[in-house]
Amino acid sequence: MDQFLQALINGVMLGGFYAVMVLGFSVIWGVMGVINLAHGELVMLGAYITWVLNKQFGWEPFAALVVVMPVMFVLGYILQRVLINRVVERPHLISLLVTFGLGIMLSNSVKLIYTADPRQTKTALSGFWRVGQITFPVTKTYILLAALIIMLLLYLFLQYTRTGKSIRAAAQNREAARIVGIEIHQVYAITFAICTALTGAAGMLISPTQAIFPFMGPPLTLKAFAITAMSGLGSIPGALMGGIVLGLVEVFIATYIPGIGTNLGIVSSFVLLVVVLVTRPQGLFGGLQPATEVR
Amino acid sequence: MKGLKQIWRQYRLNRWFLFLLLVGLFALPLPQFVAPERKLVTNSLLFSFTQMFMLITLASNWNLTGGFTGYVDFGHAVFFGLGAYGTGILMNKLGWPFWPAMVVGGMISAVFAVLIGSATLRLKGPYFSISMLGTFVAMREIVRVSKPLTGGGEGLTLPPYLNRPLFYYITLILAILVVTLIWWIRRTEFGATLIAIREDEIGAEMRGINTTLNKITAFWIAAFLSGLVGGLWAYQNTFIDPDVVFFESRTVELVMMTMLGGLGTVAGPVIGAAVIYWLRDVVWASFFQYHLLVEGALLIIIVLFVPEGIMGALGDDSSTSLGRIMRRWFRESPKEGVA
Repeated sequence: MDQFLQALINGVMLGGFYAVMVLGFSVIWGVMGVINLAHGELVMLGAYITWVLNKQFGWEPFAALVVVMPVMFVLGYILQRVLINRVVERPHLISLLVTFGLGIMLSNSVKLIYTADPRQTKTALSGFWRVGQITFPVTKTYILLAALIIMLLLYLFLQYTRTGKSIRAAAQNREAARIVGIEIHQVYAITFAICTALTGAAGMLISPTQAIFPFMGPPLTLKAFAITAMSGLGSIPGALMGGIVLGLVEVFIATYIPGIGTNLGIVSSFVLLVVVLVTRPQGLFGGLQPATEVR
Repeated sequence: MKGLKQIWRQYRLNRWFLFLLLVGLFALPLPQFVAPERKLVTNSLLFSFTQMFMLITLASNWNLTGGFTGYVDFGHAVFFGLGAYGTGILMNKLGWPFWPAMVVGGMISAVFAVLIGSATLRLKGPYFSISMLGTFVAMREIVRVSKPLTGGGEGLTLPPYLNRPLFYYITLILAILVVTLIWWIRRTEFGATLIAIREDEIGAEMRGINTTLNKITAFWIAAFLSGLVGGLWAYQNTFIDPDVVFFESRTVELVMMTMLGGLGTVAGPVIGAAVIYWLRDVVWASFFQYHLLVEGALLIIIVLFVPEGIMGALGDDSSTSLGRIMRRWFRESPKEGVA
């Protein structure tokens, strides 16, 4: 029973990270219709910025958010203006390939600068809290907390600010948004920039608990895709639910099937994805275009 | 003045040109047998050609699902890897000779293609592409984890057999057979069915075409042929491990080559694979650490500026940038006959 509860807690904590990681991917897909295959590489960039601040300037990783998010915001804005803007209204294949190429470029640039050695950041917020037989890892608890705060802020932003409203309008109906005077390309650029900043924050959140290396991206992209396809495009509660489902599945597999470890995490998320898409094409929680009818 | 397009039209189906090219390719290793000490043709040149023929075969296979059927597969290298591992396991663990091992390796790929395809081919567009990417990454992890069978991260060694001219001829003949097969498929009813599925899947279904069956057929044919190439590659390389066999950029390369040559054309993958292979081998072999960086940039450039590829630009009047530039340069009259 204790083992079960422990796995449950670890799964929820992993799920919190997945949820915040998936948000950027999900909102970009929902608003712009672009499936960003460079997503995992953006997470990786955020993690590396945190690592540099931590290693060279001795910053606390959680404090590095103050730098990571603005830097990634600017980067996202530039990327959108230079590259993504050219593929927004073109077939999916084009944007898939362009973002894939971008991902390869990002991971290899980082490899050239910092080599392919795995890195990790050191945080002062470490150790364990014990409640009975169950342990709460302190770092992961703070990660979950930060993830929830970030999601709440994004929700409030999208719900109540003028820019947030125009982003939602653009997601609902591009043409109508244009007609009522929303500068659609500006909205796209802001959306992409915000999502990149969120993704960079996710990179910071992963850096104290897992090894970071230049080629960590593609599995994260795949998990983001799996969660988004399961939970619906651009939906924040959906991302939270989907992230926690995937986190639980991964942790329970690692706990109850010995000798495999978390290596098969990507396999489980993939199997989950295919099973969900084939049996429930509208997604687990509805609200998604049916996968078998999208062109 | 004759436009480049007319020149191309005049020569592309010229049997003499093709015949001379093939005779030249078949004759290339001959100096090795006649005068080995003169080193007119080095083993490394033959090796380069062998790699190019393999890429041509793989890109042509990819084109069958990605180009003709319109199902863009981001994980085609999984079939290459299964073929390589099938061959490797049969030769290393069971001591099979190469030829049956290679064919069985291909069959393993084909069976896997039928299994996975019957699930993923029901998905459309990006869902299919990314499911296949997931298949590819998942398969690499499965191979890494199932250590008793595959040797895990340490890999498998195959009995070494270094005979460059032999591999040259095998891959050349395989490439010719595959391209001919695909050219022939394009002319059969089956090929027309695949194009119909790409253009309008629901319409094709309305006409009474069993789209799922046709898609799966194209998928397993391509998987079988790629599995054969994987087996050949494993035997030639004499060593396989999850990271070299399931090499991430291999799967993108196939897409890139086919896009550069022309998606959904028979000659496209051949031209694209040849151009990119030699570009990489000659131009940036000396900047090896930048090679993936350049490859990513090249992918973006091709996709943004030449999405219909060289064949598209040379073929009918295309809307690609390259096609427009060519038309402006050669001031051609638009559209005559079918391309």
